Parts: sequence; structure tokens; C-alpha cells
Amino acid sequence: MDKTHSVMKAGNLPYHDTKPQGAADFYFAINATFRFIQDRLGRQGWIAYLRQLGARYFAPVNDSWRQGGLPAVAGYWRAFFAAEPGGAVEVREEAGTVVLDIGRCPAIHHLKTHAREVVPSYCEHCYHLGQARAEAAGMAMRLEGGDGQCRHVYFAHPPETPQDMSAIRAVTSC
Amino acid sequence: MLGCYDFCGHYDWTFAWLHEQGGDALLRDYWREAIAGDSQRHASQLIEELGFEGMKKYWAHTLEEEAAGYTMTEGDAVIRIDMHECPSKGFLLRNNLSHSTDYCDHCIGWIGPVMEKAGFTIDHEHNHCGKCWWEMRRTGDERPPSTPGELADKADVRSASDWINPEASFDLFQKTTSVENKEPANPDQSASSI
Repeated sequence: MDKTHSVMKAGNLPYHDTKPQGAADFYFAINATFRFIQDRLGRQGWIAYLRQLGARYFAPVNDSWRQGGLPAVAGYWRAFFAAEPGGAVEVREEAGTVVLDIGRCPAIHHLKTHAREVVPSYCEHCYHLGQARAEAAGMAMRLEGGDGQCRHVYFAHPPETPQDMSAIRAVTSC
Repeated sequence: MLGCYDFCGHYDWTFAWLHEQGGDALLRDYWREAIAGDSQRHASQLIEELGFEGMKKYWAHTLEEEAAGYTMTEGDAVIRIDMHECPSKGFLLRNNLSHSTDYCDHCIGWIGPVMEKAGFTIDHEHNHCGKCWWEMRRTGDERPPSTPGELADKADVRSASDWINPEASFDLFQKTTSVENKEPANPDQSASSI
């Protein structure tokens, strides 16, 4: 990876590391964290965790989205996926939205490559987390697909229709 | 999506959130069950099967991947790690993040149960500024930890000029595998100067 390019991209992220990309084995811990919270605190506890994480930990990003609008959202996600290893993602702005077409999810790819038992509802986390962050910025987020390939859409003006949870696929483990 | 680039940031936030939900007990269960028993089961398997060789293989891989500034020294039935620039705590310090009460506890929180299961015990000390040292020996080996420089020579983190600094506070763990056996340490009286 071109270092200058990655440093410029990382400028859109709220927190910075000394290396251009994260360590993929941390996806193991994210998956294990979801399983633990679901086992101990139930599905509603897990959703509460994700929504609070989205509103609190990601507050600096949410503020930048509120101030910068859709270009800030697009810039963030381009920088985000440049710093995640192993993904194949296209980010584009179109008609009042930012669309993330995820051809290969870096997390699901790494977990499956290493034969990990993935939490079946793993892909739902992107919706609960993303929607909490979008709400904080006065936007909305919807998700379709999952299990390694999906589409995230960020709306500048929240649509009337709620998220169709059946549109989010469960993860199939090896 | 929750990513791995800023993993240490949301990991720290998660410690604080779990502590809010269930106190020390839930957080310790999380490190033991989710991290040691699930996330890091590849480490556990390597160390159970290969002992000291497994430790060398695991940490050589993971600390390289995390771009840590560390040295690993093998002695007579002991593995020592000197962490000069912890990539995990370093991420928090550089980004001014501090959600949980003692982030550094998470390491022995999960490594302890892995070592216990594999038949090893730990001597460990950290200064909360991204520097720490570890010595792993077989359970029942009652030798004390090495004196500064004895095992790791110039790589011994206790010899670093900033091991003791105005921001540092020391926690010491002696012959244990439990995060609960923490001893607040004065470096003048701790294993640093034994």
C-alpha cells in the first residue's frame, strides 16, 4: 500500500494508529465479544451495546457527519475501508445518499478464512451501529444483504420506511 | 461496521460498558470466556500443545502483526517479554482515549487463564505508559522473576530511562494467573529492583 495515500486517507478517521491497516485477528475478538454479550445480556442487551457504542464512542465521527453532510460520510467510509485489511468496497455518493457496496466484507472474510464460528447475527451489528451513528448526525442508514456481501445506504433525509430486518442475511459458518 | 484499525479504542470503551452492566465480575468473565476461551483460542491451543515454543510462535506472530516494539527472551525454562512500546495502550495514549478504569488489566485478564490452563504461571509488571514485562514459568517453578538485566540484558524494559517517569504508576503480579492478584507497586520496592 502506498504510505502517503494511506496517511491522507486516514486523515478522515477520528483516531490514528502508527500502521496503515489494523490487525485482522482483532475480528476474532469482535466476534467473540458479540457472542459473549448476547449470551450474558441477551439480544436486547447486545443491541443496546451497539447503539450506545455508536452514539458515544463514535461521537466525534457523528459530529463530523452532522457538520459535513454526505461528503463527510463518504470520506469517512473510504478512509475506514482503506484501513481495514482484506475488503473490497466501493463508496459512492448518489441522489442524497452515500452507498457502500461491499463486495467482500473484511471481517466475514477473515473469520471464515480462519474457520471461526461466526455469530449468526453478526451482520446485524452494522445496522444497529450504523443507524445509531446516522441518527446522531440527523441521517438514517439502511442495510441489505450480509454474510460477506452487502449494501449500506446512508440517507441525508431519513426515509419513511423502517429497516426491513429480514433483508439482513444471517451468517453461515463453515 | 466495527473495524480492527481502531480496535483498541472500542475495546477500551467496551470494558467500561461491561463494567457498568455487571461490575468487575462481568468484565473478568469477559476476558476469561470471550477473549481467552473464544477469540484467542488459537493462542491457547498453541501454548497447551507446544509450551514455551507455542508462546514464541504466538507472540512472534501477533506482536509483529500489531507492530509492537518488544523483545522476547528465552531463558532456562522461562520466556520473558519486554514491551517497550505497547501497540494497544500506545493507541489509547496517542489518541487521548481512556474509557475504562485500568486498560492494562485486560492482558493478564486473558493471558492468565490461557497460562493457567496450559500449566504456566506469570510474573508481570506494567507502568500504565505502554511499557511492561512478563515472565512465564511452569506452575510449581518457584524461582523469583529475574533482576533487571539478568535475563534480557539491555532489552530489559526496567532499564529504560522512561520506565519510571512522572506519569507512571506500577501494578505488579507475582506467580499468578489471576487479574485479581494485583499488587500496587512502588518500583523502588517491586520486582524492578529485587
